[in-house]
Amino acid sequence: MTPRRAFRLLGTLLLLAFIFCLVPPDGTGTGSGAALAQQSADAQTAATGIAAPKLTAEDYPTIAGVNARVVVWLAAQLHLWFAAFVLAVPIFVFIIEAIGMWSRDRRYDDMAYEFIKISIAAYSLTAVLGGLLVFSLIVFYPHLTQYLGAIFKETMFYYALLFFVESAALYLYYYGWHWLQGGFRKWVHLTIGLLLNAAGTTLMFLANGWLTFMMSPAGIDPSGAFTGDVWTALHNHLWNPINIHRMVANVAYGGSIVGAYAAFKFLSASGAKEKAHYDWMGYTANFIAICALLPLPFAGYYLAAEIYAYSQQMGITLMGGIFAWLFIIQAVLIGTLFLSANYYLWCGMARSEGAARYYPYIKYIAVVLIGAFLVWFTPHTLVLTNEELKALGGPYHKYLGPLGIMPAKNTAVNVMILFTALSFLLYRRANRVVTVPWEKAGNAVQVALFSAGIVNIFFLGIYHGYFTNTVYKVASSIPQVITTLVVIAVSILIDAMMYRGAKEVAPLRWGRVPDRAQYALFLLAVAFTWLMGLMGYIRSGIRQHWHVVGVFRDNSPDAFTPTLGYAANVVSVGTMIFMAMVIFVFWLSQISGVKREPDGYWKEQRA
Amino acid sequence: MMAARRFKIPRLAQAVLTVALIYAAFRVVFDIILGQPIPASLMTMYMFFVVSGVFMVFTFTEESTQELVAPIRALVEDPSKKLVRNIVFLIVPLAAAGLTYMKMLPDFAAPLELRTIHPAPPSSAELYGKRFDLLNLTNPFRKFEKADPEKFQQLVAEGGAVYMANCQYCHGDKLDGKGPYAAALNPTPLNFQDVGTIAQLQESFLFWRIATGGPGLPKEAAPWISSMPVWQQFLSEDEIWKVILFLYDYTGHRPRSWEHE
Amino acid sequence: MKIFAAVILFSLATIGFFTWFSNFGIPQVTPAPPPKEEVLDLGAMTMDQFAALGERIFNGRGTCKLCHNPVGGRAPLLDKIGEVVPTRLNAENYKGKASDVESYLYESMVDSSAYVVAGFGKAGTNDTVSPMPNVTGGSIKLSDAEIKSVIAYLQKSNGLEITVEIPKDAEAAPETDEAGPREPFATVEDMFTEFACVGCHKLGVGEEEGDIGPDLRQIGTLRDRDYLRRSLLDPNADIAKGFEPDAMPPDYGQQLYAVELEMIVDHLAGLK
Repeated sequence: MTPRRAFRLLGTLLLLAFIFCLVPPDGTGTGSGAALAQQSADAQTAATGIAAPKLTAEDYPTIAGVNARVVVWLAAQLHLWFAAFVLAVPIFVFIIEAIGMWSRDRRYDDMAYEFIKISIAAYSLTAVLGGLLVFSLIVFYPHLTQYLGAIFKETMFYYALLFFVESAALYLYYYGWHWLQGGFRKWVHLTIGLLLNAAGTTLMFLANGWLTFMMSPAGIDPSGAFTGDVWTALHNHLWNPINIHRMVANVAYGGSIVGAYAAFKFLSASGAKEKAHYDWMGYTANFIAICALLPLPFAGYYLAAEIYAYSQQMGITLMGGIFAWLFIIQAVLIGTLFLSANYYLWCGMARSEGAARYYPYIKYIAVVLIGAFLVWFTPHTLVLTNEELKALGGPYHKYLGPLGIMPAKNTAVNVMILFTALSFLLYRRANRVVTVPWEKAGNAVQVALFSAGIVNIFFLGIYHGYFTNTVYKVASSIPQVITTLVVIAVSILIDAMMYRGAKEVAPLRWGRVPDRAQYALFLLAVAFTWLMGLMGYIRSGIRQHWHVVGVFRDNSPDAFTPTLGYAANVVSVGTMIFMAMVIFVFWLSQISGVKREPDGYWKEQRA
Repeated sequence: MMAARRFKIPRLAQAVLTVALIYAAFRVVFDIILGQPIPASLMTMYMFFVVSGVFMVFTFTEESTQELVAPIRALVEDPSKKLVRNIVFLIVPLAAAGLTYMKMLPDFAAPLELRTIHPAPPSSAELYGKRFDLLNLTNPFRKFEKADPEKFQQLVAEGGAVYMANCQYCHGDKLDGKGPYAAALNPTPLNFQDVGTIAQLQESFLFWRIATGGPGLPKEAAPWISSMPVWQQFLSEDEIWKVILFLYDYTGHRPRSWEHE
Repeated sequence: MKIFAAVILFSLATIGFFTWFSNFGIPQVTPAPPPKEEVLDLGAMTMDQFAALGERIFNGRGTCKLCHNPVGGRAPLLDKIGEVVPTRLNAENYKGKASDVESYLYESMVDSSAYVVAGFGKAGTNDTVSPMPNVTGGSIKLSDAEIKSVIAYLQKSNGLEITVEIPKDAEAAPETDEAGPREPFATVEDMFTEFACVGCHKLGVGEEEGDIGPDLRQIGTLRDRDYLRRSLLDPNADIAKGFEPDAMPPDYGQQLYAVELEMIVDHLAGLK
């Protein structure tokens, strides 16, 4: 099996996983009102519940000179970064290993092993940071920890047990890699990989339940006491949306971190062979990151829609209130991700001489990408000087104002995704020419498909966004997403058929890629880390002054919502600590292979 | 990049020209043709990303990158360009100093003000001495739109009369925010025809904003210098609801709702 | 090492750009601090919270709104206090000692017959006796502080200056219940008056009785004793057709002694 085919399969799998994830969790159809009514009915059957304590500022222990919130914030965020990384890596290591088994291509197996090797040292750091988080919660927020512990006692206990399973599977998977090779043994190894992923994913889902309970508590009776069982608490309104969003984001994030590792190794590599290897590794990692990045906006949109459905007030706080500007920062970051991913693909075209044919098209892709990005970036509320206010005749801009609302942004992001896919299609074509007789027709169909898709996306965005009832503003995003996905899927299918048995005009030479491309990979990783920190902040921040929304009030001195600049500074500090730790981890994986024999240090042993 | 190839403009000049052309295009299209300039704060970010895009396009191949940086490299390294180098090395710090000076210079413009146009409403508000649950509040007259269109039109007309008697002085008789007094106000009255205003909002939000006016704005919508009166002191509850009917009816917008019809 | 430094610098510059943009590229909005929690700690209460407490009592436990509403017409509306109180204080048939709005309101709640608004007196008394119960007794049992909070609410909702002072002494706190066990009532009629049953139900004990709840003058023909007892203990268990739930106070099970409850059930079952 060629790498090309393998990645086609990988892409399809990811797509399938995404579509599967779009199916809403049961209960959402009935609406939260009905769900609440059901819960309160259940609540009456239960004799007693777990009441949320009413706290005062004195109930929060303090340590002089330590800001409790920032400590917990950083501990949680660092734990999450590492956890995302060590959960994501086994997912694609498993897939790459399977591809290697199928195609019997040794290189895949080696690369999979190298990926898992990076994550192994990060694994213990994840656990250590998790411990730090638990300790800081116990120290600084004892009542909250106790409350959550009372509600989630079962899951917390099994979480700890499951951690053993996860650790055992990971160590077996990693240390047994070379031992479990060939035939049946390889199958056993792959099964361990599956077990590892199952345990890891379950762990994440359990922990997700705890934090979504804090956002959208379930099983609360009218008096505010928790009377449901642990499943009610776990299966709260936002559990599945968060599960999906985190799952997809973790894969994208893991890909970007591995990409940065490969980029660094590429830059410091001396031999051509080594360069080629790390170029290929970086490319694969970037491919994984992009594959997961494309459906991510939709997963995020689903999450936001569910937040609205759960509580409109929380939704407005999120999108229209104090956090509105955060989405402008987010737009800058996601724009950075898309642009650097595209730039990496373009630079990668240098691997084959055949790509020169497509260079002239790149600038048009760039124009569209930047254009769409500018639309996406345009805020709804403009910062105006007084002269500008007068010149515009009001706080609204006649032409940019309409770009500030959701339909325009949905349209823009779909266009960006389509053109990123187009970049990828061009990249795939770089080193080959079509031999099938229907080349012209095939190209025409693809052009028509893209044009029709874009027209449809624009129609849906403009017509439903601006000329119909507001209900459709939200609703029109679904057909837009489907259009995008269909166009990508069908055009890749056509392309695959067109390039069956295609002639290679120039070989694809791994390693022949400019250093600048590697910096695009670093940019991807840093922007991704930072973005995760930022979105982690808003996810937690929309609870505002509640530990558990509407149930358990946060009365600590830190209950206030900080400014975005303050939050960004904490995120930046966290990112830097994370980077330092990651560099340490990578360095560890490097020195473990180094062996030194100092002269005359050890006593000569007599034979 | 759009620059014609046959003139053989150097790559660096091409890049600079492209950025300059895009900037000029923004200026011409928005300032002159459309008469709605792009605010400086936004323009800065726009141009930042335009420059990034141009950089990406000009550097994704090795040859193009070499061509792009060749003049810069020559300027720094080529011994024969000593004079130019010295001039440039003089101009660059001077320009930086000049920019810093301009930036630090105190100016007399009022400081930048941010207005959150749609501040998040409280979950409930005390209006007319009663507590209104804004999350579930609906327009009591909206039901007549389907049930009794004739009565609905009558209510809209009554709302129109209230509007003309009270609101149009600022918000304009065309609901476009250009009433006779509008020019004197800062912030300027809202333009209801715009798709970004009432079309984005639920009727309960309008009710809250009209009833409490400028003084009722929450803190995040500061500064509280909106001259919108506190209409609950002048209009009855029913009058406000009728005006809201009129606003949507006249502009053709629909109030935001979360349920599918 | 050079590469390492370059990569680190590049990453730091990226982080720096994001930080810069978040701090200076967008406006910094300082979100409002968390809203003050409403606690029944009178000492820490603001006047707004105190009035809000009064509003809750007015609509809830105080049962004031059962009669003082525009629907039933059982009692005068309280929306023009500022205008009517001064004229009432000077009226001929005013028998109280109040001198201003605050004292008048207080008096009207504990000694409601001091002034009876024309047309709202107890039937047959020619507007000399008010049907309004003493809010410190019976099922309502408001404390001094709670009465003051209701006054604060009434003054606020009428757009008047709030003149009451928030009581500072802990004993006046709403939770205190200084009264010991009371004597059981001797007759059902006493209970009907004391618990303000006739405010809502027609029971055949007075001339003019309420129609907020079902007419009970012949209830014994329709309902058995179990149904009647359940309706007293858990009013929302069965709602008669055409009536709203939650109108009847749900706590008669706590208010009445067992002997009294049975007396009422016996009495109602006998109304045929």
